[in-house]
Amino acid sequence: MIPRIPTESELKKVMTEFKSLGRPKKGGFKIFYPANLHDGTEEALKLAIVPVFEDIDTRVREELRDEIRNRIEREIKLLGSMNSPFIVKLGSLSPRRIEIGEMEFVAYSEEYLQGTDISDLIGSGYHVEEKELRLLASCLIDAISNMWYRFNTVHRDIKPLNIIKTSLPERPFVLLDLGLAFSIYESALTVDPKQRFPPGTTRYIAPEMLKPNFRDTLDYRADLYALGVTLFEFASCIHPLAKDRDDLFQTLSRILHNASTPLEELRPDLSKEFSTTVNQLLKKLPALRPSNLKTLNRLIGLGT
Amino acid sequence: MKLLAQHGHAEGNKVNEGIEKRLIDGVIFSPKDIGEEKLIQRIGDIRGRLSDGEILFDPQIYAAMVANNPGANLSRLEQFDSYFVPLNRSRLEIESNVSKVLRDTIAFELPLEVSGIIAPNILISRSFDSREATISKTFIRLTGEVYAEIGDSRPIYATLAVGRDALANPTELQEFLNDITLIEHPPSGFYVLVSARTSETKLEIFNSDVLAGLMLINYSLKINGFSVLNGYSDLVSPFLGAIGADACATGWWSNLRMFSMDRFVPTISGGRLPIQRYLSKVLLNRITFYEYQAWRRFIPTIVNGLSMDSEYDEEPERAREVLQSWEAIKSLAEDFSGADVASNLNLGLVAIEGARRYYEEIQSFGLRPDAKSNQEHLDPLLEGIRSFRRLAEI
Repeated sequence: MIPRIPTESELKKVMTEFKSLGRPKKGGFKIFYPANLHDGTEEALKLAIVPVFEDIDTRVREELRDEIRNRIEREIKLLGSMNSPFIVKLGSLSPRRIEIGEMEFVAYSEEYLQGTDISDLIGSGYHVEEKELRLLASCLIDAISNMWYRFNTVHRDIKPLNIIKTSLPERPFVLLDLGLAFSIYESALTVDPKQRFPPGTTRYIAPEMLKPNFRDTLDYRADLYALGVTLFEFASCIHPLAKDRDDLFQTLSRILHNASTPLEELRPDLSKEFSTTVNQLLKKLPALRPSNLKTLNRLIGLGT
Repeated sequence: MKLLAQHGHAEGNKVNEGIEKRLIDGVIFSPKDIGEEKLIQRIGDIRGRLSDGEILFDPQIYAAMVANNPGANLSRLEQFDSYFVPLNRSRLEIESNVSKVLRDTIAFELPLEVSGIIAPNILISRSFDSREATISKTFIRLTGEVYAEIGDSRPIYATLAVGRDALANPTELQEFLNDITLIEHPPSGFYVLVSARTSETKLEIFNSDVLAGLMLINYSLKINGFSVLNGYSDLVSPFLGAIGADACATGWWSNLRMFSMDRFVPTISGGRLPIQRYLSKVLLNRITFYEYQAWRRFIPTIVNGLSMDSEYDEEPERAREVLQSWEAIKSLAEDFSGADVASNLNLGLVAIEGARRYYEEIQSFGLRPDAKSNQEHLDPLLEGIRSFRRLAEI
């Protein structure tokens, strides 16, 4: 069952920390509200959905829901530990389980970042210059490095929709949603094979994540692939592999087997070094993606 | 790409002359063929002749796995007992033993005036999904870690020694590469060796799977920011240079042009001295002095037009052959170094097609190449490059 979006009045009955809520926006597994707190500050209220799982045994369903609740809370705790300025920070509302009718959520808040997500910019046909692409790459490389080297974590859901372009000079691009969506799916995968589906957002999934035993070998190069797709799409306004008319399996097949159009064909004005390296990030084999983050930051970011 | 002398028995004045004529950029010493005292003296001597040259020492620990073999011929290697002791797989499955081998070997090399340190490793003889491969990965993983503790500012190269049979399974190779390109304490680079079952026939290495695998190893390591040195790479060197290899090495005997554990456990003994050969760039092959003399009258363009050609007006002294080889390999490597990997590979493919046409022309004159001078290396080379392009997604 897909839960409906709770109204402001429904939320006010179970949460008193905020004064008013803005217009909600629903992502894959979360609902987001701009929220005004009583002290006048703004935060992003997030409701992580605890799925219902129909047609399965009650005991199994409860075990599964409990696992998901715990996983959401672990992910939120992890987000709180991150110290890259280019990863969204937690807000004042600690994780809390709430029920609205038959729906259950884990509510928490993140800092509210004024800005536009990259997905909206791509949709508007925004023409991005190489300087800004390099700035984005630098921010994301820092975030990926922080997640991997300090917390042994892979985001697994880097995509234009999860990146906010802000007006803050010290934090020009900020990455949202630390692997939360994937973690929820990961639980479902272990329990209900009927819901088998690749983790993460299909169009940005690294090819190695489509292998049955991907968890054994997954590392941050899956995030580098998604970084490559994001940079490619931001630069050209075209996804390097997926087509809008494709169904899920066609997209997956392209991810596994097709080569992308070289970026330089779509953006001949970009430097060869930048385009070649972005193309290299899109390779199917992780060992063919440049994994030295310092070197990578020099090639496509602002590193020296 | 730098070209290095793969040092071995009967060095004579070859390396000195190669350096003087600027045909080589350095040397990789092998303890099997040089005692410790002489090694130190030669390193000092070469350092004086080539102050910025690559001077390296391959500790040849892979030979420690056959040291207890009754037929083993380790020669001077046994004198290097501060680090070289017989080893077996069971012992190396314990990580602390691998760490000790690394420490002892690196500690031996550190006082040498070498430009970088080559760390020890064993040979992965048959499969990347094997106990040997697991041990090899442990060596590679610990190389940077141990060096960070006891090393200095010189580069450290992990050894990756692979049997040609292991390269027949590209899926296993790809998974192995996925592992070794992501190491917590990475080395500066890799010293790559591909072992033939015997160094007697070039088809051991001129095999499409072997060439594609070797090229993929080089390419993947370079993409991931490692320096790559190839030992015993001889005629494959220009193609490895085309995809980014930093240095390749070859020497004056057939067992310095192709790596094989034959060197340490000889299966055949004796044999005639080989006929001296001329490396023709357009044929991508060596031909005998007599073929060279005969063929160039019909097809003058098989002559390289390089300075060492003059040595072949008469039958050259044996020691001169390697100088001509170094010159031709270096020149070929320069020919294949263009704007990027894809265009370099195209230059290589054009050269192979050109060689094919030359061989057709040779046959059209009724000339018959001897067994080692023929064109049997060209098809595997062509297919190897094509296969590499598929594996490397180029």
